[in-house]
Amino acid sequence: MPAITLDHVRRVFRTSTGVIRRKRKDVVALEDLSLEVGEGELFGLLGPNGAGKTTTVKILTTLLIPTAGRASVLGYDVVRDARQIRPRVGFVFGGERGLYYRVSGRDNLEYFAELYAVEPRRIRVRVDELLDLVGLRDRANERVEGYSRGMKQRLHLARMLLHDPAVLFLDEPTIGLDPIGARELREAVERLHAAGKTIVLTTHYMFEADALCDRIGVINEGKLVALGTPEELKRLVSDKSVVELEVYGVGEEHLARLRALDFVDSVAVERRELRELLRVQTALGERAVPRLMASLERLEVGRVSVREATLEDAYVRLVGKLE
Amino acid sequence: MRRELRAFSASTRLWLRYMAVDRFMLFCAFVQPFFIAVTVMYMLHHQPQFDPVYVVVGSALTGIWSVVLFDGSWAINSERFQGTLELLVGAPSSLYAVIAGKLAGGMAFSVTSMALSYAVGAWLFGYSIVVRDVPAFAVAFVLALIAIGALGVLIAPLGILARSVRQFLTVLEHPIYILGGFLFPVLLLPGWLLPISYALPPYWAAVALHGTSSGELSGVAFAEVCAVLLLSSLACFVLAAPLFRLVLRRARVEGTLSLT
Repeated sequence: MPAITLDHVRRVFRTSTGVIRRKRKDVVALEDLSLEVGEGELFGLLGPNGAGKTTTVKILTTLLIPTAGRASVLGYDVVRDARQIRPRVGFVFGGERGLYYRVSGRDNLEYFAELYAVEPRRIRVRVDELLDLVGLRDRANERVEGYSRGMKQRLHLARMLLHDPAVLFLDEPTIGLDPIGARELREAVERLHAAGKTIVLTTHYMFEADALCDRIGVINEGKLVALGTPEELKRLVSDKSVVELEVYGVGEEHLARLRALDFVDSVAVERRELRELLRVQTALGERAVPRLMASLERLEVGRVSVREATLEDAYVRLVGKLE
Repeated sequence: MRRELRAFSASTRLWLRYMAVDRFMLFCAFVQPFFIAVTVMYMLHHQPQFDPVYVVVGSALTGIWSVVLFDGSWAINSERFQGTLELLVGAPSSLYAVIAGKLAGGMAFSVTSMALSYAVGAWLFGYSIVVRDVPAFAVAFVLALIAIGALGVLIAPLGILARSVRQFLTVLEHPIYILGGFLFPVLLLPGWLLPISYALPPYWAAVALHGTSSGELSGVAFAEVCAVLLLSSLACFVLAAPLFRLVLRRARVEGTLSLT
């Protein structure tokens, strides 16, 4: 039996605009999502902002009710059996919020240990174990408001593990962390995976998904657009090269012209401070460069390079844009 | 049940710590009752029938009510604003127990306002402040706290159902001081307002505390007031349960547990 099942899940949010004449608008966060995650699997959920990753995690953690379709965790339905699911799952949402800032890190953990009904005699030991695990033992008695972003994120991780849940949901857990903090968190995730936990990880970082995940699902505009192991996804672009062109002042008309070229598979733009980096996927490799330059006539072009495609390029090809 | 009691107790302890550093709640629990006690004692001390224990009890009630009203109407939303509401809802304990515990913490904190009012009367004005029927007062005190706290538990889900309801609730602070007869007998009010007073648990809390502190309430009349307090508490607790379920269901459907 899979640990997690999503069966044609749809989720629509209703918003409204205006004060006197309110206009209602439906925003589709998940169009039709079906997938399964096996027991003990580390599953990556990738997608651009607004693709539906967090919505999926919130549905699976019983915080949102799907508009249509069914979802289950460990065989329990997320709508009907929320009370059975909650003690069995742990979750972390990226960012600094979600902590009681005016009390200490230890107070936060002890409080949630009570809410998760950790055996009273075990609470102090468990909290100390987790403080050691996330490297916060020395600062445990300080108020959370004085913690750095990375410390808060590690405290979230400790909170998630208090009741030793079987299924973990980590929604962009390394966002905003410094490289060392992010690496430590990834190592902790690897240890949890090795300990047999089922983990769903959403992330923007391709290398993170590549390094950690057994399988990856890519969602875009609420739909699953690819599913497979990192190697399988990389194979989507294994015959492709990526031409990177540093340009100044690229406009929609230039992008449209590039996309219309028959040898171009996808074009992505990464906007930097004073310039843009164009990433063009093509099977032609270096031979594509003169024709691409010709299409960008009257546009100032700086550095040009050609490299092999990576998982990130596979992702760009699937979702058609960069963050 | 044991899980809910643990959630209640843990929330009470956490909220006590939290309130000790919250300036607004410190104002509600200490500064405001202090000024009310000083003002009322100064206004009434020439009155022949003036009883300082009435002011001590009344100003303490204002502190308790203010904390319960603001804590209750913002109890859920404040968790939402700090991003902890999703964690509370996603935990196995009920939000009802957590919010009730939070309010109990607030009330335990605000009870200290009674000691402050006593200090104002005894030390600043030099009154001899005596509770005439101490055992009855102790019983009335516990029941009054439960009744006002139960009203806070009912207010909590109402406060999140609609912004207009929350705004309406927050302007109820001073009217309840008057309609509850905290500082002046409600018989001074126009007759048509009395039914409103009689429908309010804070009024009966004030009747119990003022009556037992002055020694004027005893026997059957005292038992009746206690029964009203118990019944109103029970009604609030029972009515709050489906409201919490409704609020949670609606938040999960509409996606309003978090701000993002």
